[in-house]
Amino acid sequence: MSLRRYLRRREWDEERARELEAHLEQETADNVARGMTAGEARRRAYMKLGNPTMIREEIWKMNSLVSVEDLGRDVRYALRQLRRSPGFAAIAIVTLALGIGVNTAIFSMVNGLLFSSLHVREENRLQEIGSRQQGTPWQPQFSLAEYEAMHGQTSDVFSGVVGDAYGLDGLSMEGNKPDRAFTDYVTGDFFDALGVEPYLGRLFHAGEGVTPGADPVVVLSYAYWKRHFAADPNVVGKHVLLDGHPMTVVGVTAKDYRGVNTALSVEAYLPLAMIVPIESTPLSEYRKPTNRNLRLYGRLRPGVARQQATATLAVVARRLAAEQPVADKNVELASFPMWVGRNAGFDPQNAIGEVAWFFLGLAGVVLLLACVNVANLLLVRATVREREMVIRSALGAARTRLIRQMLTESILLAVCGGVAGIGLGLWGSHLLSSINLGTDLPLHFDFGFDWHVLAFSMAVAVAAGALVGIVPALRLARANLNMVLREGGRGVAGGGHRFRDALVTVQVGSAMILLIIAGLFTRSLTQSEHAELGFNPANVMTMMMDPGEIGYNDPRARDFYKDLLQRVRALPGVKSATTALMVPMGLVGNGGDTITVNGYQPPAGQSALVIAYNLIATDYFATLQIPLDTGRNFSDADDENHLYVAIVSEAMAKQYWPHQDAIGREFTMNSDPAHPLQVVGVARDARYQGFRQAPAPYFYVPFLQHYATNSLETLEVRTVGEPGTTLPVLERSINDMAPNLPVFDVKTLHQALYTPNGLLLFQIIATLAGIMGTLGLVLAIVGVYGVLSYVVSQRTSEIGVRMALGAGRGDILRIVYKQGMWIVGIGLAVGLAASFGIAHLLHSLIVVSPGDPATYLGVSDALAAIAMLACYVPARRAMYVEPMKALRE
Amino acid sequence: MGSKKEQELLLGTLDMLILQTLVMGPAHGHTIAHVIEHTSDDVLQIEQGSLYPALHRLEDREWVSSYWGPSENNRKARFYKLTAAGRKQLRAETHRWESMVEAIGRVLGNAGRVVE
Repeated sequence: MSLRRYLRRREWDEERARELEAHLEQETADNVARGMTAGEARRRAYMKLGNPTMIREEIWKMNSLVSVEDLGRDVRYALRQLRRSPGFAAIAIVTLALGIGVNTAIFSMVNGLLFSSLHVREENRLQEIGSRQQGTPWQPQFSLAEYEAMHGQTSDVFSGVVGDAYGLDGLSMEGNKPDRAFTDYVTGDFFDALGVEPYLGRLFHAGEGVTPGADPVVVLSYAYWKRHFAADPNVVGKHVLLDGHPMTVVGVTAKDYRGVNTALSVEAYLPLAMIVPIESTPLSEYRKPTNRNLRLYGRLRPGVARQQATATLAVVARRLAAEQPVADKNVELASFPMWVGRNAGFDPQNAIGEVAWFFLGLAGVVLLLACVNVANLLLVRATVREREMVIRSALGAARTRLIRQMLTESILLAVCGGVAGIGLGLWGSHLLSSINLGTDLPLHFDFGFDWHVLAFSMAVAVAAGALVGIVPALRLARANLNMVLREGGRGVAGGGHRFRDALVTVQVGSAMILLIIAGLFTRSLTQSEHAELGFNPANVMTMMMDPGEIGYNDPRARDFYKDLLQRVRALPGVKSATTALMVPMGLVGNGGDTITVNGYQPPAGQSALVIAYNLIATDYFATLQIPLDTGRNFSDADDENHLYVAIVSEAMAKQYWPHQDAIGREFTMNSDPAHPLQVVGVARDARYQGFRQAPAPYFYVPFLQHYATNSLETLEVRTVGEPGTTLPVLERSINDMAPNLPVFDVKTLHQALYTPNGLLLFQIIATLAGIMGTLGLVLAIVGVYGVLSYVVSQRTSEIGVRMALGAGRGDILRIVYKQGMWIVGIGLAVGLAASFGIAHLLHSLIVVSPGDPATYLGVSDALAAIAMLACYVPARRAMYVEPMKALRE
Repeated sequence: MGSKKEQELLLGTLDMLILQTLVMGPAHGHTIAHVIEHTSDDVLQIEQGSLYPALHRLEDREWVSSYWGPSENNRKARFYKLTAAGRKQLRAETHRWESMVEAIGRVLGNAGRVVE
């Protein structure tokens, strides 16, 4: 109805005009009949009716969609205003774009790591199961027996419980050199429970994956199929070799599905029990209650809440504890939403999640700074435009209209800033995605741009616009009409400056926080780079290989490494060579095992600690230059026919045999209770993981005694000169022995330190924090400079009077400086206090102390100096004010 | 807030008066204004101008319909006619009004007794 009227209102208005005219004529005629003159009659008729134009206007308004029309007018007006001051508009838009861009980029990272879609059916009903024992953190790994218990006993809450275990295997077409693929061994109903569809062929059936070796079938991921099979549409039915075992490709997974872990891209899927033949896991090991390498997922039945699932799991946990008193003593189970455990464990301290949230917070501070800057600019503009507003208000504009119009202008700025910012954010996100992670593992670090990110950025932009606009708009709306008119256009500067000063204080404080955090991370990075490693990373070449991938069985793999070391040691330029499972800061073999030490009782209420260990060849300590304190090195005689031996680290010796000689003591790895290990040596502590704490207890066992558990090793070669120069001969040696063996993660030990488990995360964090600190600093400088310049321009005539009355240039400089320094000083103090608090929240991420004096002193000195400089330019301008000129103005 | 309520009440009243006038048959704006004035013995002096936005509003709500026709002295005038919905609305309004007047009367009556 009213839309039709709206569109036809001109026609309608003409009709009203005729109607009113008819009324007037009628009344006039009546008046004439009463004996008035024609003129008088018409005049009286008009008086009686009122102003016809006003009546028509009223009806016109009733036919209008007021808000839409006003909005259009406001937007046009705002555009005109912005075009009239392009400098202001450009600065405001760039500032907002920086703030919004940083937030977009960081959020795309958080989203990519934690919240991006897994492309499974009803993702919100999918849960991951976690367990813990006696106060240890929640962890996501389970044994086969635990999986079977949960699979069978939770059907009231879960419509399915499925599991998977990761592997690295060589995949090849017959006769070709294998690619090393990141594999996922899954239970048969895995894809059904997740709701993943095949892109080609079929996925697994519920019956597959139960009997070891019974299902030689493989499903490829879409990306792997595209890259390694050239998107061959006839791939289904093809035969491939997996670690030398013949398998048939039965399908390709859906295009978008990349696995349930967003940081790693699975390349091929295999039925769970195929892990036994392919990775040559002994059946006893596969079924062992302490062999926990399955992650478990459950799909909640409709209407079942997470708490109910956890309650059912608690019952299962009690039953497990009774059935397996050793492996599952006091075990607790719980159900978690998928994102909690994504890419890591359930530990709330989990570094990725914490870092991600933390950076979102930092980005928020940058945005706040940007908003404050633009708000300040708008405030200055509002003061300048006060007279315009007052006149419009005096001419009858409602205050709400004026406020709305100011808000329109701010939101328009924010939308422009938002569009530019999203562009900037995309670029930033792309930069983040292209960080070289220094590993050949298929780590997925690509933060796409999905609707989550878009919605987030839009929301940020609009919030920024409202935040930026509401302050000057409200202030303007409060302005007193008469006062402004009387002041003759000088504006009511008096009331606002305290508020503006407060804004600048906030800016200086925020910049301080950003810089201190950047400082703490940078110092942590340098400190870690110079940390005592316990080994010498210079001149060591490393490369990883797994003869299992070309079908070598265990003794053959052992012999391969023996021969390889013999050849390599004979090469020119090689000082010493060894092999080891674990490279310091590496991504492989970080698990470790719980141990039982004869005569050692863990403190009450504390379960046995997991201790990391390394499988090493002879010459390991010589190659890494880790000194042995006491005892002897491993030799070729330490094989499975002799006593099982171990070399422990200083820290381990100190923990289990304090003030005693560790040599000759015995302990047992709980994964291999049949072979107690005798300590034959104590090595100096070396850093294998992390830089924050002192090196944790660690031990070494000879590869020759444990080759059956693992055939993946890293060749480590200490060279006489530049390690890269030996690379061709090293690769040729391997190629001569096993032409099809894939070699990967080839890098120097020094490069190996800069990987995600080593310094890379620090480097990324320090760089990001540095970028945000710099942005914050620039924004704060602009803020201080801008406000002080404005203050000087407002006080020009006052300065003129002072100078005319005899104030020297130095006095003027001091006045302006005093004002500036007050603002900066308070900002610095507040910033210091706030950073101190925030730094303590970060203590788990940084290496230096949260109160690191060098950082605090350095940053506050630098910031104070820069702020002084920002004050200097306007102060200088004040100093050279011409008194006569200022007064005449 | 208070003044707005009051305005609404008065607007409602004017609407009711117009609808009441139209019960006798279709009429144009000028007639309606005079009828309201005369039948209320000039107690209700409406500003004639405010009649037209009110008529527009009533038509918008489809309580009246309008057409062009010849007036008593053969000029063209816009006539307003009560619709069925308008008749229903008038009954509801009248009822509301009467019960309100009655209520106010009772309150004032009581107040009168207390004063006595």
